[in-house]
Amino acid sequence: MEILVCIKQVPDDAAEIRLKADGTPDLDGVAQVVNAFDTYALEMATRLKEAVGGEITVISVGGEGVRDALKTCLAVGAQHAFLLTDPAFEGSDSLGKARILAAAKAKLEEKSGKPFDLIFCGLEATDKATGQTGAQLAELLNLPLITNLTDISYENGTVTAKQETDFGYNLIDSAAPCVVTVNTPAYTPRYPTIKSKLAAKKMPIDPISLADLGEGLGKVGEKAALTRTVRFAEPPQKVAGVKIKEETCEDSARRAVAMMVEAKAL
Amino acid sequence: MEQNQNQNVLAYVETAGGKPVNVGLELLTLARTIADAAGQKVTAALIGSGLDEAAQRVAALGADKVVVVDDPAYTAFSMDEYTGVLEQLVKDEKPAVFLMGNTLQGKGIVPRLAARFESGCVADVTAVSAQDGAVRWTTPRFGGTVLAEEVIENSAVQFATVRTGAFPKPEAAQNTAPVEKKTVLVPADSIRTKIREAVKELTESVNLEDADVIVSGGRGMGSAENFKLVEELAALLGGVVGATRPAIEEGWVSRAHQVGQSGKIVAPKLYIACGISGATQHVSGMSSSGFVVAINKDEDAAIFDVANVGIIGDAVKVIPAMIEEIRKAKAEV
Repeated sequence: MEILVCIKQVPDDAAEIRLKADGTPDLDGVAQVVNAFDTYALEMATRLKEAVGGEITVISVGGEGVRDALKTCLAVGAQHAFLLTDPAFEGSDSLGKARILAAAKAKLEEKSGKPFDLIFCGLEATDKATGQTGAQLAELLNLPLITNLTDISYENGTVTAKQETDFGYNLIDSAAPCVVTVNTPAYTPRYPTIKSKLAAKKMPIDPISLADLGEGLGKVGEKAALTRTVRFAEPPQKVAGVKIKEETCEDSARRAVAMMVEAKAL
Repeated sequence: MEQNQNQNVLAYVETAGGKPVNVGLELLTLARTIADAAGQKVTAALIGSGLDEAAQRVAALGADKVVVVDDPAYTAFSMDEYTGVLEQLVKDEKPAVFLMGNTLQGKGIVPRLAARFESGCVADVTAVSAQDGAVRWTTPRFGGTVLAEEVIENSAVQFATVRTGAFPKPEAAQNTAPVEKKTVLVPADSIRTKIREAVKELTESVNLEDADVIVSGGRGMGSAENFKLVEELAALLGGVVGATRPAIEEGWVSRAHQVGQSGKIVAPKLYIACGISGATQHVSGMSSSGFVVAINKDEDAAIFDVANVGIIGDAVKVIPAMIEEIRKAKAEV
């Protein structure tokens, strides 16, 4: 089975990001990591590959710095990685990114002669959390889409996805090839070992540029972006209320409930 | 594609069990704001079956027109079919703006529609400013510590998904809008995925997004046994149980209860946080709540920064005392 996993490098979501004096997000000193949902997608893809055989290719749109994210992926399950990089790609919105990913998929298939059976994306990225790219990639590729997965299996050309719902889950069937977006599975992604890290270091990460993707690519980059951020702001700080610390829990609870009643919160 | 060639705001009102979900009604308020600023009209749309009552309710909430696709074939939600129906409605209505809740359904459908119409799309909108047809959309970044004001350009339609609880439900309007029933068929070959089985794991649905009261527990609850106190308090208040990711990872409660960035974004009237430290990932999912009560041993816990009332103490001891006090308060009413 040929699997493609699309990943994004994002600022570590454990960091609390505020604005700089110039009104842009302060990302100085914030570690760049593989988007958490993409690590889940890669882990799910790796488990599927281990079950049914095949190879995993990871791609990402971005600058040279994204090589680190791709190296990490090579150390935890991927066999091939490509960096989709070109000054013309910078500032692309979700549709632009989806166009680059779609064109790269076609290019890689043409080169290897092997079409992808499954395309994995994270449900959303932790920085912008729009969750658009995976769904739009499916649209551009004209492939079936299943969102919000927590598990997956594959048999005789049919993908069966476990999709989380508000009540439990759906089991959804689709013919391969298809695009899936991954939420948090029941398992945690594996960590690289020293051995797998060393092996990943030696693996090539070839760049793919605008020229490589050719004319079918369509509109990408900042000028073609259909959404534009006009300004950033910080949310108004909520004024902290009253803190209660009476001698006993009973006294504290009594005061708190009295305040809730007074505020008509009960 | 030329901009502003179209005249209205199309608001898709999602339903569950034949009833509009909260955000579906809330976005009618936003639709009105945007339409009024540009001298446009609001069309509300519903899809499903047995929607007469829901359509009448929406018709009385300030829309200029309600379009209902009421068909037994659409009783159960299917992403491919609903996306196809909405695509047709967008073609028919030619809206300048399309709104839908940022729900599981909205997150799946709206980006697909945006791709089909080669239009821009903003997600999880929490505020808007609209002047002369130019709309600025406020959306969260980095888990909500930063807000971005965005514009959508060079697009036939401006697509947006709206956060639950960010806008109030509309007041009843003076006039009732006409309801137009419409048949929309989706080409069979556009249905590419099939729900083989819908499994209900939960005895009752966990509707955090529409809850008036949420009682949430975090790591500070200490054990599955202690977590039952959270459930007891929620039951007493007629509320829904929420949880942080650590509590879910401990296995005390299922993932359907998760509040926060990778769970549900909620805005109940009352939110009680028990044994929750207040990590950004959690706070960004509940900071729009009306009244927040927090119980935590650690006096410096970040959760107290967003709480109206903070109780410093062990939640395991404070909750039983609170239950007692609330019972008394209720008896007095």
